[in-house]
Amino acid sequence: MVKSMSDFQPKIIALVCNWCTYTAADLAGTSRLGYPANIRMVRMMCTGMIDPKYILKAFLDGADGVFIGGCHPGDCHYINGNLKFRKRMPGMETIIKQFGFDENRLRLRWIGASEGPEFQHHITDFIQTIQEMGPSPAQGLMVL
Amino acid sequence: MSVYAMVKEKSLTEAVKTALTRLLSQDLVDAVLVAAKSPYSALPMPTLVAEASAMDGIDPLAPAAPFNAARQAATVSRQATGKRLALVLRPCEIRALIELVKLNQCTLENVVIIGIECLGRMENEVFLNHAAVHADMAAEFQKNTSLQDDITRTCKMCEQFTPTHADIVMSTLGAPENAVLFASGTETGEALLKELGLPTAENPAGSETVTRQLLEKRAACKKEVFAETSEKINSIEKFEQMIATCLNCYNCRQACPVCYCRECVFLTDVFAARPEALLRRAQKRGAVKLPTDTTMFHLTRLSHIAHSCVGCGQCSSVCPSNIPVADIFTTVAAQVQARYDYVPGRDVGEPIPYLMFEEKQKSGESK
Ligand code: SF4
Ligand code: SF4
Ligand code: FES
Repeated sequence: MVKSMSDFQPKIIALVCNWCTYTAADLAGTSRLGYPANIRMVRMMCTGMIDPKYILKAFLDGADGVFIGGCHPGDCHYINGNLKFRKRMPGMETIIKQFGFDENRLRLRWIGASEGPEFQHHITDFIQTIQEMGPSPAQGLMVL
Repeated sequence: MSVYAMVKEKSLTEAVKTALTRLLSQDLVDAVLVAAKSPYSALPMPTLVAEASAMDGIDPLAPAAPFNAARQAATVSRQATGKRLALVLRPCEIRALIELVKLNQCTLENVVIIGIECLGRMENEVFLNHAAVHADMAAEFQKNTSLQDDITRTCKMCEQFTPTHADIVMSTLGAPENAVLFASGTETGEALLKELGLPTAENPAGSETVTRQLLEKRAACKKEVFAETSEKINSIEKFEQMIATCLNCYNCRQACPVCYCRECVFLTDVFAARPEALLRRAQKRGAVKLPTDTTMFHLTRLSHIAHSCVGCGQCSSVCPSNIPVADIFTTVAAQVQARYDYVPGRDVGEPIPYLMFEEKQKSGESK
């Protein structure tokens, strides 16, 4: 049976920086700002430490989208980890796109520690985008 | 303006030998890294020659290159030794070497690069079959166009056969029979050519036309391979079909001159799955193929080196499963390099994109 669009519950992996987005997520939680429960959050010490293979692994293991949240430029605890990661984005987008993953399945946003509402907004928006796109082409596939 | 010199001898290889021997006998360099055959096989291997009398086997114009010799070049130039080295390299080898310099894996201090204007290489087996019939493969390759059609698939689509970053460019394009043309590419090269005292020459009249025709042919071939490959890997399912026979032997990684890590993550504990992890994966998905992470391996390698892939084709050459690894890598690399407006090996002063980040655009959008 073909699942209808609304049945589709996207699986989102969120790689988020400990110092900003993770704290913002916490704040959103304590402020009772709700967002869909589709995200699995992985706390990183900085976006600068996100190796491309974390993103690839998520997609090959069936993630429908990968969200990355880091400190605003100028606020990175390690000075420029976020800028280094930003530089990796075009390469990653190009690669996933060639292999049939819509490049919009990967998203980077800056979310500061105090930005609970922004966190809620960005996550909700991303989940909606993925919801509209449908499941990842790697879903249900035997990935060697 | 470049300085030109021409050396004509009984054969092409003799002409090269004359020039390179002088580098050593006139004490202009302490050693030359050059492809040379051993007493045991016609297949030329990168060889460090330190004595003029040991130049006998050199064969840099033979259409074979079992390695991208950038690796060997980086080994001998890992740190400055106070000795002066000449490295005789093909264009794709120089480009890879430049990438390794940018990664601080070697230094160009006291190094002279002699670049070969390259007509391509054959796969080892193809070369050895021809070499069993023709004693002088360098000469035969120059005049026999059917042999020229036997170069590797990746060489057939290579448009960068004129070396970048060479102090001296060594060429046969448009040169008379049994003659090799040397042109200076830098001031170092110019000084060296003058000191060598080789007969000066003009740039041969026909060479530009020959180069242009070759370029057109190569560009057409490249376009075709890219279009075909990009179609074959435009879904993860199709890509799985392409790599379904991969053995995880990692030969392609070993052969790649720009796979720069000293220790590959695929050989570390990160990917050494423990039995309980394997079972968990099998239970989650129903079944899991061993060894695992074949797709991860290729995509990770792509994400680590696509910007620096020099299109040497060695990854395809060494694959025991005949997977067209280089088709995949060059196709993706071209897109990534275009996205960053980056050409590997173009300029040693041009930083690797991932090592540079922009301070501007401090606030606002994250893309
Ligand atoms: S990926 Fe293949 S073609 Fe590209 S540099 Fe490495 S070995 Fe050469
Ligand atoms: S050389 Fe071929 S079989 Fe070996 S890992 Fe690379 S693609 Fe797989
Ligand atoms: S510390 Fe948050 S992105 Fe670097």
